[in-house]
Amino acid sequence: MKKEIIFKLNDEMVSVTVDSDELLLDVLRDKFGLKSPKRSCGRGECGACSVLLNGKSVRSCIIFAVEVAGQEIITFEGLQKEGMTDLQKSFLEHNSFQCGFCTSGVTITATEFLQKNPKPTVKEIKEALAGNLCRCTGYSSIVDAIYDYTKKKGE
Amino acid sequence: MSTFDYKRPATIGEVVKLLDEYKTSAKLLLGGTDLNLMLTEDIIKADIVIDIKNIEGLDVLQIKDSNLIIGAGVTFSQIVDSPLMKEKFPVIWESSRTVASMGLRNRATITGNICSAVPSADSAPALLNRDAAVVAISSQGKREIPIEDFFTGPRKTSLLDNEMVMSIKVPEIHGKFGGSYIKMGRYRGEDLAQVGVATLATEDLNYKISYCAVGPRPLRVKEVEALLNGKEFQGELNQELKDIILRTVSPISDIRASKEYREKMCLVLLERSLKASLSRMKNGEPQYGKELL
Amino acid sequence: MKDYKYVGKKSIRIDGKAKVMGAAKYTDDLEFGPNLLHIAVLSSPHAHAKILGIETSEAEKVPGVKAVISGKDFPQKFGLYLRDHAIFPNDKVRYVGEQVAAVIAKTKKIAQAAVKKIQVEYEVLPNIQNALDSIKPNATLIHPNLGNYEVVPWLYPQPGTNIGHVRKIRKGEIDKAFEEADFILEDQYHVPHVVHAPMENHIAVALFDYEDRLTMWNSTQSPHTQRNILASCLNIPHKDVRVIAPYVGGGFGGKAGISMEVIAAVAAMKVPGCPVKLAWSRKEEFENSSQRQELFAKVKMGVKNDGTIIALKHELFWDVGASAEYGSNVVNATGFSAIGPYNIPNVYIDSFAIYTNRPPCGAYRGFGYSEFHFGLESHIDRIAKKLNMDPIEFRKKNAIKEGDKVAYGVEMGPTGLRECIEKVAEKIEMGKEVISDDPDKIIAKGFACAWKAPAMPPNESSAAFIKFNEDGSINILVSGMELGQGYLTSMAKIAAEVLSIPLEKIRVEHPDTDRNPYEWQTVASHTTWSSGNAVKKAAIEAKGRIIETVSRALNYKKDTLYLEDEMVKCTVDSNFSLALKDFVINGIQMKDGTFRGGPILGTGIFMPEFTSAMVDPETGQGGHPNVHYTTGAGAVEIEIDKRTGRVRVLKMAEAFDAGKVLNPDLAKGQIIGGFMQGLGTALWEEVKFDENGKILNPNFTDYKIPTTLEVPDEMYPIFVEVAQPDGPFGVRGIGEHTMIPVMPAVGNAIANALGIRLTEVPFTPERILAALEKKGK
Ligand code: FES
Ligand code: FES
Repeated sequence: MKKEIIFKLNDEMVSVTVDSDELLLDVLRDKFGLKSPKRSCGRGECGACSVLLNGKSVRSCIIFAVEVAGQEIITFEGLQKEGMTDLQKSFLEHNSFQCGFCTSGVTITATEFLQKNPKPTVKEIKEALAGNLCRCTGYSSIVDAIYDYTKKKGE
Repeated sequence: MSTFDYKRPATIGEVVKLLDEYKTSAKLLLGGTDLNLMLTEDIIKADIVIDIKNIEGLDVLQIKDSNLIIGAGVTFSQIVDSPLMKEKFPVIWESSRTVASMGLRNRATITGNICSAVPSADSAPALLNRDAAVVAISSQGKREIPIEDFFTGPRKTSLLDNEMVMSIKVPEIHGKFGGSYIKMGRYRGEDLAQVGVATLATEDLNYKISYCAVGPRPLRVKEVEALLNGKEFQGELNQELKDIILRTVSPISDIRASKEYREKMCLVLLERSLKASLSRMKNGEPQYGKELL
Repeated sequence: MKDYKYVGKKSIRIDGKAKVMGAAKYTDDLEFGPNLLHIAVLSSPHAHAKILGIETSEAEKVPGVKAVISGKDFPQKFGLYLRDHAIFPNDKVRYVGEQVAAVIAKTKKIAQAAVKKIQVEYEVLPNIQNALDSIKPNATLIHPNLGNYEVVPWLYPQPGTNIGHVRKIRKGEIDKAFEEADFILEDQYHVPHVVHAPMENHIAVALFDYEDRLTMWNSTQSPHTQRNILASCLNIPHKDVRVIAPYVGGGFGGKAGISMEVIAAVAAMKVPGCPVKLAWSRKEEFENSSQRQELFAKVKMGVKNDGTIIALKHELFWDVGASAEYGSNVVNATGFSAIGPYNIPNVYIDSFAIYTNRPPCGAYRGFGYSEFHFGLESHIDRIAKKLNMDPIEFRKKNAIKEGDKVAYGVEMGPTGLRECIEKVAEKIEMGKEVISDDPDKIIAKGFACAWKAPAMPPNESSAAFIKFNEDGSINILVSGMELGQGYLTSMAKIAAEVLSIPLEKIRVEHPDTDRNPYEWQTVASHTTWSSGNAVKKAAIEAKGRIIETVSRALNYKKDTLYLEDEMVKCTVDSNFSLALKDFVINGIQMKDGTFRGGPILGTGIFMPEFTSAMVDPETGQGGHPNVHYTTGAGAVEIEIDKRTGRVRVLKMAEAFDAGKVLNPDLAKGQIIGGFMQGLGTALWEEVKFDENGKILNPNFTDYKIPTTLEVPDEMYPIFVEVAQPDGPFGVRGIGEHTMIPVMPAVGNAIANALGIRLTEVPFTPERILAALEKKGK
């Protein structure tokens, strides 16, 4: 069933017509051309499709687009409107990616987490990121980048 | 996936009306971490999906008349981030932390968790131990279902077709107590419980013990509680207690774990949980949230 | 050692910005316009069944459906080494998940709905789910026409059986050696199927245009090899097949060769002018891309009392699934190398590729070496213990040295194996006891060695173009794939070093078979070595042209000119310097106003001209099947809970002889990433099948790959550098090797902790408790 929905997307009000069973992930990618959320597991288990919904990281592969009517979505693209963020710089510095497929999801999760907990321990970082699967890095460069970023920020 | 109608009523009154109209062909949507996946993968069908998570007031998380009210819209993240929960309902808090991952906890609700009623529901043992009640509403009115009567089988509850859960009610405990939830997954990362056990010990040495993932529904083992009550748990279960537990639980073998292994873990985890609960009751250590496995 | 400016120095990856900013485009991120059609595939519900009929008319009637295709339209078979894999089977299905037909439609939803309307009539056949059953006499034949399939000359399918290939090695006098041995240990080991689980699933987009040319955008490790397979299988001239390979979201061998891409290619041929997209879901990725072969290994080793290994009989029974088109080479490669990194004079190896009704298996990081090292390195520890020797000393005593003869009679090249063993043992403090303060827990350590050679056809090759731009920057055109390992950065560094140009001024282009020169495939941990050699030669050629131009125009002797900091300088005239940007395109102006020079280019090719796969099939002797071996060692410190059986790795160390490390951070990343992937296979990962060949865990709910919470607190990646004589700057590969020691190291640690020996992975808590109970009895 078709529905028109209006929501805030990366700081702009947008409207779009969707089927009620259309997934937010597909709508963002196919109707708005926002390719940073990636499809991987399609079941909410890997975090590759993460976006921020009202400031919280969620999995867009198991959210129907109709559910976000009236809400606010920020994608990875929306995080870096002012250019490369310090967190991204830290990722670059630490080579916290290999294939890079998980990177946007990891960054989205880390962004939310650091807002809640700006001075985390390594263990807390690991716990926060435990739902973002990365098959390449073995995670340690990701954890290092986030930890190092918070240290520098604290200085 | 067959397409469905989507509605987002503003009030509970409207929801109840829709439920009367559509009965089983309607599905109530909260976080959608379970429902949306089942719809997407064609495991279930619905004519209408009623999204209730944004209904005003459903996100309450507060104490009222000595009872904690957890609104149906309360997510696991809200629980995990709540100082009130950590302080006064620490086992619900502790078990909420073990649910999936942050990205799912931001969406998944504790009400959704119990309504899905999978045998491995992480929130169930802690709620069972606290004698929680499920507050349901329909056009016939409101009623409270003791959580023990709520789960009736795998993915089955005593909720009627035209009922919706408004909140979960958890009585406060006034004296000193300690509790714990231990979840055995295949690894430390996100996993479903293969065995989950929650225990609670109060100052007068009264115990509460509940399991998930070791039978068709989460269950409390009152027989064991009765035998332990009044005594200081010494760290090891005696043979009588072990026998009772193994008689009470009925785990299955599946690809996650065998029946035999689950049975063994029912005992090991219970010993560890009881030890932690007692120690927490006495001196607050090990801190809540600390790994107990 | 020579001091390099770029090689071996820390640097930011040249694909870094693209990745942290989300600018890196993967295949599914590309736009193909409103004409794009989508494919959904009907897959087999049976592991083995005759196809009696396929009825597609109902599906064709669904509005939005453009075409339905099946084996009637495309009866061809494809394969890298052995053409046994049907595009769509016409005779019978051979595994659950095999493609039977496909619908091309305007949307994926329509295609999926239409697929459900295709009717297939099957006659179910007995299916084989175990390699050891498959080689029993009278087993149902999975490929009755095996004898008719096209195959490379160095593989030996056995028609009339379920054996797709057998590699035999006979060296020395095995029977006599066992007679002379003071101690013999014989046992069996089992490693189940696992999957690559890259975060990006397989995806392919194909366009067959009105001039009959096929263009594909694929997530692949093998653009040129795919072009070759497509051209020969579909009978299209190579020049008219174009494979473009954007960024890849992880490969690990799973995207080597070709698999589902053929479906997209033939679908495109059915709807000329429209691009068509086929994207695997995670479930399809599990069921129908490729898996790692299951291994049943029999190891028999004979030693002298002084700790000398004198005999090894190693029999490898590989379940390659329903197709051996790629997996047969895993079987071949491991057959040649199943002695491990040891000097063993008497060797008997049989390595069998055995068909079953399971998904096709192929390359997986380690190419079979992880699997056989599990048994071999477990065996090494067990024997050392029997001899009362320190397992580290035992390994050092038998470790292969330069000049020793490997199993097929060729001399071993330079190796830093002993140093790797020592460094890892030291770092993990092997032999030093650690006691847990929790009485339920035991802390212990385990060790393993590893080696691996690139497994390639003897005539694999690489090529590179370098072209200069007006500002003195360069574009490097190659066809190796950036899979995340840092290939682009490595190639840039090699060129940077030769041409003295900073990395910021180098762009390395993604493969496009129309434009970029040849590369066999990005597999086998050989690309830094092979493609790196081609890039180095291209850079040297470009440098030669630069120097020739300057010498000719300005009258300097060639041998006095050199490159430094983007300039040409002269050893005898310190006042002279000429910036590259001043002439690399437009040439050097002479006094008379004319110009000398022109655009500077470089080309480079590399082929190892000393290799040959032609060996005696009965003994494996007489050829030179491998180019070199990378060697190393790994160890873990684990904590094990006696009551639950749970294992946690506290500490790990691995050392590999990389010849020369080009990128220290990236090399460390390979060790850590490879270790964690290996840990997955040691502790949790296993594809589970029911008795009818259906996968029970085709998702991350029940196929558990490591998360952040499984990462050890302490990790020590170590490198040893004994140069590879024919490697660019001495480089040899390490990408796969890092995974190899993990299973046996963890197994050895468990044995050291509890005195139980597990001969099967993964080491689940259940298996550990069961073994403990058995021991208690
Ligand atoms: S694709 Fe959404 S969580 Fe994996
Ligand atoms: S970098 Fe490849 S999945 Fe994380």
